[in-house]
Amino acid sequence: MKAVGSRLLQLVVLLGTISTTLFLLLRLSGDPAILLAGEGASPETIDAIRADYGFDKSLLQQYLMFLWDIVRLDFGRSLVNSQPALGFVLQYLPSTLHLTFLAVFFNSIIAIPAGVWLGAKPTQRRRKILSTVVSVAQGTPAYVIGLLLIQIFSVWLGWLPSIAGTGTWAWVLPTATLSFALAPNLIRVVAASVEDTTRQDYYRTAKANGAAPNVLLIKHSLPNALLSTTSLLGAQFAFLLSGALITEYIFAWPGLGLILVQSITNLDFPTIQATVFVVAYLVFIVNLLMDQVFRLADPRLRRSQL
Amino acid sequence: MSQELKDQVTPITRRKMFQSKNKSLLTLRISASILGFLFIVALFQPFFYTADPAASDLSLRLQSPSLGGALLGTDALGQDVYSRVIAGFRWSLGIGTVGTLLGCFIGITLGVSAAWNRKRLRIVLSRVIDIGISFPYLIIAVTIVTVVGRGFWPLALTLGLVCWPTIARVVYAETLTLREREYVTAARLFGIGSIRSIFTHILPALRPTIQVVAAFTFAELLIAESGLSFLGLGAPLGTPTWGNMLNESRLYMESAPWMMFGPVTAIILAIFAANLLGEGLNAREQSRSTRVSQ
Repeated sequence: MKAVGSRLLQLVVLLGTISTTLFLLLRLSGDPAILLAGEGASPETIDAIRADYGFDKSLLQQYLMFLWDIVRLDFGRSLVNSQPALGFVLQYLPSTLHLTFLAVFFNSIIAIPAGVWLGAKPTQRRRKILSTVVSVAQGTPAYVIGLLLIQIFSVWLGWLPSIAGTGTWAWVLPTATLSFALAPNLIRVVAASVEDTTRQDYYRTAKANGAAPNVLLIKHSLPNALLSTTSLLGAQFAFLLSGALITEYIFAWPGLGLILVQSITNLDFPTIQATVFVVAYLVFIVNLLMDQVFRLADPRLRRSQL
Repeated sequence: MSQELKDQVTPITRRKMFQSKNKSLLTLRISASILGFLFIVALFQPFFYTADPAASDLSLRLQSPSLGGALLGTDALGQDVYSRVIAGFRWSLGIGTVGTLLGCFIGITLGVSAAWNRKRLRIVLSRVIDIGISFPYLIIAVTIVTVVGRGFWPLALTLGLVCWPTIARVVYAETLTLREREYVTAARLFGIGSIRSIFTHILPALRPTIQVVAAFTFAELLIAESGLSFLGLGAPLGTPTWGNMLNESRLYMESAPWMMFGPVTAIILAIFAANLLGEGLNAREQSRSTRVSQ
């Protein structure tokens, strides 16, 4: 319960900071009514927005009103299609979540076995493979991978579609892009933690007692190694929600990232704010879940919390 | 017997140490010279141009790469891709440098003050660092950029303002161990004040760590910057930056794939060099600390 409380406090502080920053920046950068109305808006529209948002009141009053609206989860209406911003953003949530889960899933089934293979017997050659993979992949941003994949598989070979909404095959390239971007890091961490367990006392004892290599790996090494991997998976999930921003844009994927980019291009502030809040909330949920998974998986933690 | 054993053992470990030290030095030298060269390109870019990067000639649009004409081809406006890639160096490396410096300043200030203080300030600051780390900072950067606008300084300062949590955490952890060292305690017992002790004892000892994080942060900011430009949120449209060029190339993937390869190579080269520098610095630091402990 204490963990939930501290995470909740984190969420509140984070959302408070973001919204206060946005509030101040919007007020500092000129007349917010003009900014909110967008370029080429008529004076009547600007006046209407000014009255609507209460820009004629004092700054403190405005701030309190603004916070109160946020507490009620009222972000205003989207300036593009005048739907309530939060509802509009939430429509796009499932498709982002779908992509994220697919990426995490494929990333795990590729990277965990690879990491275990590299870490279980750290020979010179395997180390070399590992460091090459990691250093090459670290230097390649996700969108470069995405563009190269499109160039190869859609343009040259013509095997796979590059745009969302064209059937099941449209999932392949975005998922592959995100998995490629995430796998090196996961491989590195899995390899390092598997290697680390082989140096532990309990592992040496089991080995001295004559446990078979497979038993050693599966029963003694993996459970502990995967424990530290869990926290990375959580961080990767959080990263995906922003890393998917660019990937979604490349593949015209109708998700939160695309909405964020579009609303920024249109200077649609209510939608921007709603999107940032939804992302922050998702990150909060993921962190909370990871805490719980950790406690369930690690008996030492469970005991210390009780 | 022990003397004999020592004679056998010591040369081997020494040679091993020497090898690993040499190797990390080699990585360092290679990466530092690549990065140095890239910075020279950025500073003296006019000498590397083969054409004016802004000059467009529609009769030369979408030309494929050739040795006699445009080295890396031309884009949809007939601009020389090679010269625009060169022009992108100043933009990317400049933003990376400014952002990293600002991020280091914030991160070091927060990390050191969180670790030095034993009371409430530490709790508050370490919470702040935790929160900063848990949230994907690109989203915040994107949001701030919306309001402050596009351009070199808005982008550089925004990235600097959001990239500090990792730096702060590393500095925090390192300072926590440093402040328990004997010489720091001794200084305190001699009545040397906190501020002076931080500047004379902590910060110099933090330098190697900071160098490593700064190199990795620099690489990360290069990715973030080109990503934002790619989304059309970083550089003003038409500015020769790698992200912009990649974004423009998306429309011509079929007819002019070369528009993509120049900027992609430049991005990967710069990020790779910065990451390698970080790894080299890290390896050097580790080999140093093992030598000290031996």
